[in-house]
Amino acid sequence: MKRILISTIAVSALLFNISCDTDFDQDVSSIVVSKGDADFTKYVALGNSLTSGYRDNALYIDGQNESYPSMIAQQMQLAGGGAFKQPMMPNNTGGFTNLPGFAGKLNLQVVNGALSPVPSAPAAALDNVTPGGPYQNLGVPGAKSFHLGAAGYGNMAGLATGQANPYYVRFATSGTSSVIGDAVAQAPTFFSLWIGNNDVLSYATSGGTGVDQTGNTNPATYGSNDITDPNVFASVISGYVNALTANGAKGVMANIPNVTSIPFFTRVPYNPLTPALLGSNITALNSGLYGPLKQALTAFGAGDRINLLSATSANPLLIVDNSLTNLSAQLTLALTPSLGVQTATAFGQIYGQARQATSEDLVLLSTSSVIGTPVTGAPASINLNGISYPLANQYILTKTEKNKVLTATAAYNASLKAIATSKGLAFVDANAKMIELSKASGIQFDGVKYTATFVTGGTFSLDGVHLTGRGYALIANEFIKAINTTYKSTLPMVNVNSYSGVKFP
Amino acid sequence: MKKIVVTTALLAGILAQAGGFRVALQGVKQLAMAHTSAHAEDASVGFFNPAGISFIPNKLSVAAGGFGINADISYQNPSTLESYTTENPMGTPIYAAVAYKIVDEVSVGFSFATPFGSTVEWPTDWAGREIVQKIELKAFYFQPMVSFKLAPWVSLGGSFIYAKGSVDWTKTVSQLGGTLNIKDDQATGKGFGLGFYFKPSEKLDVSIAYRSPVDMKADEGVASFNVSSSLYPLLGLDANGQDKFKAILPLVDEYTLGVTYKITPKWQISGDFNYSGWDRYQQLTLDFENAPVGNQPDDPTKLVSPKNFHSTQSWRVGTQYMVTDNFAARLGYYYDESPYSDENFIPETPSFNANVITGGIGYKWKGLGIDLSGAYNFQTPRTVNNAYLDFYGQAKAKAYYFGLGLSYNAF
Repeated sequence: MKRILISTIAVSALLFNISCDTDFDQDVSSIVVSKGDADFTKYVALGNSLTSGYRDNALYIDGQNESYPSMIAQQMQLAGGGAFKQPMMPNNTGGFTNLPGFAGKLNLQVVNGALSPVPSAPAAALDNVTPGGPYQNLGVPGAKSFHLGAAGYGNMAGLATGQANPYYVRFATSGTSSVIGDAVAQAPTFFSLWIGNNDVLSYATSGGTGVDQTGNTNPATYGSNDITDPNVFASVISGYVNALTANGAKGVMANIPNVTSIPFFTRVPYNPLTPALLGSNITALNSGLYGPLKQALTAFGAGDRINLLSATSANPLLIVDNSLTNLSAQLTLALTPSLGVQTATAFGQIYGQARQATSEDLVLLSTSSVIGTPVTGAPASINLNGISYPLANQYILTKTEKNKVLTATAAYNASLKAIATSKGLAFVDANAKMIELSKASGIQFDGVKYTATFVTGGTFSLDGVHLTGRGYALIANEFIKAINTTYKSTLPMVNVNSYSGVKFP
Repeated sequence: MKKIVVTTALLAGILAQAGGFRVALQGVKQLAMAHTSAHAEDASVGFFNPAGISFIPNKLSVAAGGFGINADISYQNPSTLESYTTENPMGTPIYAAVAYKIVDEVSVGFSFATPFGSTVEWPTDWAGREIVQKIELKAFYFQPMVSFKLAPWVSLGGSFIYAKGSVDWTKTVSQLGGTLNIKDDQATGKGFGLGFYFKPSEKLDVSIAYRSPVDMKADEGVASFNVSSSLYPLLGLDANGQDKFKAILPLVDEYTLGVTYKITPKWQISGDFNYSGWDRYQQLTLDFENAPVGNQPDDPTKLVSPKNFHSTQSWRVGTQYMVTDNFAARLGYYYDESPYSDENFIPETPSFNANVITGGIGYKWKGLGIDLSGAYNFQTPRTVNNAYLDFYGQAKAKAYYFGLGLSYNAF
């Protein structure tokens, strides 16, 4: 009997030793964060609006506090990282009262029963925070690749001529300093460089009104909405990286997301003209405008520019495409017998380069407020934007324009990757991440599903171009992953859900 | 005999048990012996096997008891270095049973018990708050039963199960900038129990029982969104920010085979085998009336969450030694297996593989019995690897139970 008891106890004890360890192998509180081969003592971040924490079409305190460099810096501080100072805005609204075109942030408000982003008035005049510097977040909203090396980009006097940027004026160390110079002067041990979006983005958000400067290597001659020459792009970035790494600093670079993955270009469909929206006008439009136009255009071999409006399915917008052969004269000639010289001339001028949009054209987010509104000065029967009057170039990024953007982006991204590789720097494929985000499946984090859908996707702020705190956190984690992979550090990821998303009223 | 004991002990280490949100605490005396089933000493046997009431030694038996559960779950994420521990209130499952022998061959009984439930409360800022912040699941089983002695050594019993339950689940809805609570305390379900109880000799008790699954239907659920009122129209909510929902929560079936053998008049050992049909819990569907917070392309108001549970087995061993004629000492051990893999870990029903040691004492005086028992769970930490939720990390738990039971047998 005793023996049975003893053997039972012995076996039980054995089983216990096998499977009764109730604690974690390692508690996270005892994990030591390693810097690996990198040195995070002095981290500086270079870039544009995305780096500054810009969102909702403004730079403001809450956004800056959730900039991706500040998130990264916080994690670096667990591995010997130093202080990370940002040139904080004086208020939580943003904008500059004394400069035209710098409104305060967009707020979501209920307008006519629907939620809409509404701009707020700028909260203060341009301030100067240079005495509080030097700053480690050197992100300058609006900066293009070549701007970072431009001496005087922070000179107040240059604002009027467009040679300076108010966001850099705020914290530039002098009237002749450059962003890259201010960075190098701090002798950084680690840097991040995410620049180049604006080299294509301003062209894209202006509906392709600028010029593709590919082949022109003198950026001083560029307009603000132009596409930067890829060779200029590669050479200036190469110069920055050489300067930053001259003293042995390590760093991380990121490439540029395609415009096709951001809601500013994907929110408004090319065919928002539903039968319900057009109502009984469809017949009149077809007989008075679309029909005659199609007939005339067909005669000139361009009948595919326009199709009759459908009464059962959504119809595409009427747009201007500057890449089309201008058929103004031909149209006028063809329409004169039926419409008379005066009207036919007007038609010719208006529809000479008009066509219906296709799924390959991108309608700008800002265009949504223009569609269906009357065009001043246009004949009353054909004055509805996008319906009876073609949307002007500035409202649409046409297929041709889009392809210029994509071609330049691909060239930039190839250079960025090559430069990062040649210097052994960590590299973030931000483009791939944004493409992943823009898919229907999105990106999950701890049970929350994020997508690139405007407002409801949670990652893009109300301007449709810049990210929310959660969107920036997704990006911060990509930077951290790349840094860890390249430098064998063990910086922890940030919790995406802990940052702010879109604020509802 | 030695061989049997050793073999049983070994099997107990390999095989497993119920898990999930099954709370196997329906008898204080039984818990002290690893919650084994072949104990026809009082009316509490009715929950384990309705046929068992035929072998209660007295004409009338009443039993009742309650437990305290202290359980804490910890989660940590080595990737973000975050860690959180639940702030669970004490769980208090209870039971009560009565059995009466109308004639020698026919006994009737009634059992009330809380065999399913779960209360988990995480800190409000914890990483998995989109999945659950706080959940309270409860199911009450009301079981009238009858048992017939087919022969002096065998009985057949059956019960009808009427189940009443409640769910109260709060989670964040990050994309809407708020929280969502779903609540229904009117859920009901039906089922049955069936069993044979054998007592071929004074030394041996054998219990074979089946308890059917019960589908708890929540038809009158209220979903309360604590979000900006500007979103109410978009979500189809009423002026209070509320919507209705329907759901069905499956409570699983269980097969039990139990044996008790008296080695000496004073010393008995018991063994149990359970099989629980957790594979019924493949997914949870919340069907909202208006709110488009679902994930089905063809029905935006339907939220389907995969659960992918698998069925589990368990082996239990327990023993009782009568120190005096009145005083009993009890011990037990069982191994508890989680009904899901690391890939399906869900923090609203945290479940672990666990070694459980049980023990207790009992005192009998005339027909009156008082029992105390306790159990300690040695739960194995596990990896959380849920790609569906993008929820990763590690989880561990510690839990102990204690119980106080009373029984009275008369005539």
